[in-house]
Amino acid sequence: MTTVHLPLEYDLKAGWLSPFVEGLTQGRAVARVCAACGRVSFPPLRTCTCGSAEGEWVILSGRATVITRTSGLDGDFALAQFDGADGLTTVALQSTATVAQSPLVLQASDPPRLVLGLEDTA
Amino acid sequence: MWDPQVVVTGAAQTPFNRRKDGTGPRDWAMLAFADAVAMAGVETDQIEALYLASESDFFALQLNPASILASELGLTGAAVVRCESGGCSGQSAVQMATLAIQSGLISHAAVIGLDASASGLPGDKIRSLYGFSFDNWTDGMTGLTATALYALSWQHFSAEQGLGPRHLAHVTQQNRTNACSNPDAHLPRKDDADAIDASPLVASPYRRLHCSPLSDGAAALILSHAKAAPRKTAPQVVGIGAATDHMHLGARSEPGSFAAKQRAMKRACDAAGIHPQAIGAAEVYDAYAGAQLQAVAALGLSEQVDQDLSSGAFAPDGRCPINLSGGLMGQGAPAGAIGVAQVATAARLLEGRYHGALQPSVPPEYALADTHGGVCTTAAVTILRRSGGL
Ligand SMILES: [Zn+2]
Repeated sequence: MTTVHLPLEYDLKAGWLSPFVEGLTQGRAVARVCAACGRVSFPPLRTCTCGSAEGEWVILSGRATVITRTSGLDGDFALAQFDGADGLTTVALQSTATVAQSPLVLQASDPPRLVLGLEDTA
Repeated sequence: MWDPQVVVTGAAQTPFNRRKDGTGPRDWAMLAFADAVAMAGVETDQIEALYLASESDFFALQLNPASILASELGLTGAAVVRCESGGCSGQSAVQMATLAIQSGLISHAAVIGLDASASGLPGDKIRSLYGFSFDNWTDGMTGLTATALYALSWQHFSAEQGLGPRHLAHVTQQNRTNACSNPDAHLPRKDDADAIDASPLVASPYRRLHCSPLSDGAAALILSHAKAAPRKTAPQVVGIGAATDHMHLGARSEPGSFAAKQRAMKRACDAAGIHPQAIGAAEVYDAYAGAQLQAVAALGLSEQVDQDLSSGAFAPDGRCPINLSGGLMGQGAPAGAIGVAQVATAARLLEGRYHGALQPSVPPEYALADTHGGVCTTAAVTILRRSGGL
């Protein structure tokens, strides 16, 4: 057996998704509203499900309700409904987050991850 | 309908398992290829093209594997291309080869699928890489695993269909029981419902025993133009179809429905001029126990999944046996090899050449191979028909 070590350090560029990705690092839910049909996508769709690629950025409240949830060795994840978004969003749940305490809110995360946690009421 | 010109003259695979014998993917490719060529009765220099399916360069640290294998297999001079569509890669390669032969430009093509999904890297590294099979800026960065995404999709489907743990256990037991009669299978096991319930919870409701394993292995086909085929009993490729769904589970109107599979099946059935009810055996993409039932519904193999499962319609002696091989859950899942092996199994079943205990005494007229990548983001199905020469 031959062992090869290959450490990889990627420098990924988000391109057109930059407003969304930067928003995640600050805990802001930056969505896309379609110019043709008004559908709000989060995560943003470059080409809307209606086929239009014209749109504008819009900032949602970041509050979301868990629709379905899965837990186990892989972690805690959910399909969530963000207030103001059409369609659902796949997210990670902070370990402290519980469905009973919804609505939950998007957390600031660097590297940029879609994470829901409890609202900071302090 | 199209006028089918392609036949499966050669079909073979290696055992799927975790290799501990010092062999590597090139060895597995050679074994499967040699068996397929021998069955086909063609000479290596008659093979004009190689379609190689391999999901990831990371598994064996080999970029451009198609060119390397052409030399290894004595196919230098043939046209080579590598086909990749995640878990669907193998079926994509079968379909590209089919289209090339159907066009009349070539007479014989080799299709090889392989991956070292088990022995090349530790399991946690493989699972991390698989996490980047989904949109890397959203699901990938967030750390969603394939199991978690499938679990979320299943929850939507099972709620609509009234299915639960009993049905997951049924599929798990049936596939792995079938695997017990397949000498090439990775997980020939007989776990009772309690053992399944006691296995670790990976992503609820999926437990470890509801999941397909990471496997090593290869599969190979020789596809030939009917006019050039040395064997007259080779099954025909009568229908192919492929489609995609939205990459984000949450953007789909029904996160529990495999819409891409439904579309792919419609296209394949239209090409074949049949309805799904004509299918007499199916190899279905059961990455997880629930995914098999989602697939069965999307393919139109059942209108009443619960009832048909309970009544044994999908059992080895049922109306449409599903995953006689054991499927991904029982036979194993070396990513690139899966779709190729599914077609190989279907072809061998139609010719009466499958493993004795699993071979139906009267081969069905039509058999289906169903494959997908992502959470059914990319889907491809192929329908084979028993030769009239049998
Ligand atoms: Zn739109």
